[in-house]
Amino acid sequence: MYKLLKEVFRTGNVTVRYPFAPLPASPNFRGKPHYEPERCIACAACTIACPSNALSMTTDVAAGTRTWEICFGRCVFCGRCEEVCPTQAIALSPEYEMAVLDRADLYQTAEFSLASCRLCDTPFAPRKEIDYVVALLVNAGLPEADAERRRAMLEVCPACKRQSEVVREAGSSGWHQIGVTP
Amino acid sequence: MSMQTVAAPITAAASAQSEREQTARLKKTLLNDIRRSIYVFRIDAGGCNACDIEIFAALTPVFDVERFGIKVVPSPRHADVILCTGAMTRAMRMPALRAYDAAPDPKIVIAYGACGCTGGIFHDLYCVWGGVDKIMPVDVYIPGCPPTPPATIYGFALALGMLDQKLKASQHVEAPDEQVAISHPRIPYNLRIALEREARRMAGYRQGREIADNFMTLIAQDDARPVAQRVADFLARENDPRLTEIVRSLEAICSGAETDR
Repeated sequence: MYKLLKEVFRTGNVTVRYPFAPLPASPNFRGKPHYEPERCIACAACTIACPSNALSMTTDVAAGTRTWEICFGRCVFCGRCEEVCPTQAIALSPEYEMAVLDRADLYQTAEFSLASCRLCDTPFAPRKEIDYVVALLVNAGLPEADAERRRAMLEVCPACKRQSEVVREAGSSGWHQIGVTP
Repeated sequence: MSMQTVAAPITAAASAQSEREQTARLKKTLLNDIRRSIYVFRIDAGGCNACDIEIFAALTPVFDVERFGIKVVPSPRHADVILCTGAMTRAMRMPALRAYDAAPDPKIVIAYGACGCTGGIFHDLYCVWGGVDKIMPVDVYIPGCPPTPPATIYGFALALGMLDQKLKASQHVEAPDEQVAISHPRIPYNLRIALEREARRMAGYRQGREIADNFMTLIAQDDARPVAQRVADFLARENDPRLTEIVRSLEAICSGAETDR
């Protein structure tokens, strides 16, 4: 009995004061994914990596937009989105206070504009993604003029590229339509 | 005829609205008039038991939810709160509904865990209804896979009106001139990739990215000291043999790139 009491007094009170005092989680805790839409290029790598489809991308061709969406209620906090993100736009934060009263509050969305194909005028890729690729090319040492020439090629949708390639193979250069000589 | 077809949905919506108001009023009465502990009945509707383990972790002396009078009871007849975990499988939907009906009104339903909220990683399975709110009205959603005991306590505090909700729905629309800056533009592209790949290979994607980021900031910054001196100072400050090993191998990549040139 004495030993037990001694142990009890030695241990003291172990209960955390949590709801009345903040309880920070470890810096490596996998909590709420923190997303910065300004750094996102809408490449959709995270939505492919997400095992539980908490992340999704929907393309609205009529409006020329692509919408990124996360549902915190479906996220399993595996961190694969963070692993694949090329621009570090999404990272798991140690934030864990995510309980909500309304299901609609579990969603976060970001809308991006799509660039239209120079040949068929159909929206096909996010504008920010194309800008990022051109910026990377310039950063890698390509002269500005060459990068702009590449931009003309980047802003052509895959279907038109294939078509132009076939036309070029057949003899006449399809690239003349956009003023480019590959 | 056309008047009727228009009028019918409006009355249905209105009655649903008043029903919601009644429920909300009843729940407020429950929270105001209850002069005893909140009794919780736990339904496991096809979960993997991780959520249940965390619920019991919240009952241990470290988190001790019983200090707020939150008590787990073995029968839904005694329950004020129904805590439902699991993705709501076809086999468990009827027992879950029976437990819900057996609990006296008014009651608060809490969807617990990613599966309870939306079905989680099992949301598109053939035998899964995908979320507690598919079969019963849910008052509080606690996301997490599984939610930690503090997240559980937070959810209960929210359900009982003690704390405010932090997470809000947010929409971002791209600004006309939004651009993404390239990180570490002063370092050649191929070297950047090689450094990050090596750091990730040695330390995993999370710490690897951090280490590569720190290293590249260090070698690209404007500083009078030579790079080797800066790196040595950084390593001496951190004093971590694992970090030293990784940074040395990153340095080897840098000098290899220089000799190639």
